[in-house]
Amino acid sequence: MKISDSKYGVIITTPGLIIIIALVVFPVIILLVTSFLRYTAVYPISFTGFKNYRYILNDRLFWLGLQKTVVYAGGVTALTFSGGVILALLLSKVTRGSGIFRSLAMFSWAVPLVISGFMWRWIFNPNVGIFSDLLMKVGLISEPVPIFSNRILAMLGCIVADAWVRIPFMCIFTLAGIESVPRELYDAVKVDGADCFGAFRHITLPLIKRMVLVGLLITSMITFRTIDVIFSMTAGGPGRSTYILSLYLIEQLWLRVNYGTGSATGVIMLLLISSFAGLYVYFIFKKE
Amino acid sequence: MRPRDGVAKILEKPATSYVLLIIILAAMLAPIVFTAFTSFKSRQETFSWPPTYFPQKPTLQAYHQVIFESPIIKHLRNSLIVTLGTTAVVMAGGLFTAYGLSQYRFRGSGVVLLIFIATRIVPPISLLIPFYIIMSFLHLINTFTCLIILNTFLWYPFAVWMLKSFFDAFPRDLIDSAIVDGCTRTRAFLSIVLPISAAGIAAVAIITFLWTWNEFLYGMIFTNTRDVQPITVGAHYFVGDELVQWDSIAATAMFVALPGLIFFSIAQRAIVKGLTAGAIKG
Repeated sequence: MKISDSKYGVIITTPGLIIIIALVVFPVIILLVTSFLRYTAVYPISFTGFKNYRYILNDRLFWLGLQKTVVYAGGVTALTFSGGVILALLLSKVTRGSGIFRSLAMFSWAVPLVISGFMWRWIFNPNVGIFSDLLMKVGLISEPVPIFSNRILAMLGCIVADAWVRIPFMCIFTLAGIESVPRELYDAVKVDGADCFGAFRHITLPLIKRMVLVGLLITSMITFRTIDVIFSMTAGGPGRSTYILSLYLIEQLWLRVNYGTGSATGVIMLLLISSFAGLYVYFIFKKE
Repeated sequence: MRPRDGVAKILEKPATSYVLLIIILAAMLAPIVFTAFTSFKSRQETFSWPPTYFPQKPTLQAYHQVIFESPIIKHLRNSLIVTLGTTAVVMAGGLFTAYGLSQYRFRGSGVVLLIFIATRIVPPISLLIPFYIIMSFLHLINTFTCLIILNTFLWYPFAVWMLKSFFDAFPRDLIDSAIVDGCTRTRAFLSIVLPISAAGIAAVAIITFLWTWNEFLYGMIFTNTRDVQPITVGAHYFVGDELVQWDSIAATAMFVALPGLIFFSIAQRAIVKGLTAGAIKG
């Protein structure tokens, strides 16, 4: 007996579906359940209702973490976006040696974020790094800047190290969008007397908008939950000035050993990211 | 003349693009290049001020120390096991799933696809505690199996999504004519579709490999001995605990980043195609 094509599809798809249910749906259910439990190392497990959530929402550190996360994710996204788009625009203009330029532009994508943290920690180090030295040679500053003892500069340093790894991804996304724009359109607006700003605003931007939005969505969602760079650069310091929500969650697990509040933090992060993603998807599809 | 016209005129000159591009690329590559240079400096030189940009007397001292006096080789082995294991699992599972979703649609396959995409929204960090509970229950904390399972969770949906877009572009006529010639559907998939899409499949495998290699969070939370810790975590502790020695930090950094940089130089075109696959056609 020969099975139909659609049954065949079900058969070869099912194992993958089972994997995904086991690895995502099941843990999410556990997450939701534990967020309503008193689940610590000391007391027996019991149901507590919304107590964990109330605890977190009254915790000053949670709000600090949320604020730092928004600044961090916003900063990385903004820097990644501007860097990636500018790089893509330049790459699309260059004809000679474009292959080499393109590969050079994307190398930092392959560097692990933790290692990016190490690299930039050295660059920014006021005693041995080249950042301060370069600025002094140019004459912008007169003595080395201690990046990691200043609250604002430490955050900026982490943002740079993180965005540095993410710019190539944004760049290839934008570049793919730009290259799908037919050449003739540019010639047409040139005839109409538009300069390069006009061409960018009226042709490139509307046509690559969708692509750029997808890139922005991915970047902001990933940086909202990332931790690697901060872990290897500042570990939340100085004085919690780079204390992001992910660190708050890890503290629940490692320091307070409270799975209940940790899970509640996880649920809140999940909700924040989902609503964010929902908003983006809504805007992308509304236009069509 | 408005200032905007002047700027536009400069920007429209081809030479401007080259100059700007070279400046930006220099800034983008500087961290890698100078880390590589630092790894060849002597310890003394790394502490000098003003810092040297090129090694004055290149030496392999730092690499010697990292290879023979640090546990980095052990972590390298751990990472290889986890990475190869994850890539194998993800590809073996992902190929069939993606092919089914692409070529043999069924009622509800749209929903299945949506589930795959939706899982990407779940932040890995928020599942830390559920996974910790599950892995403790299964006695898998601090094992390679645990890391392979968690990395599969991280990269599997992405792999399916990328593979599906490769299979979507595959000419259906080729599959149909093979089946008319008496091939079974699985046979047609294995001996016709797979070889022809080999480049795309390789790209997905490489991307999965690199992402697993670079993974840090789960590696850090779910392992606690040198026998299991992947290289990113090993390097983090090694550098954090024992070193303020910049030559060794640089050599360690180069060690960890090297596979990525090598893979990327070889297969850049395919990787880029994989990463943008699916997004282009929307």
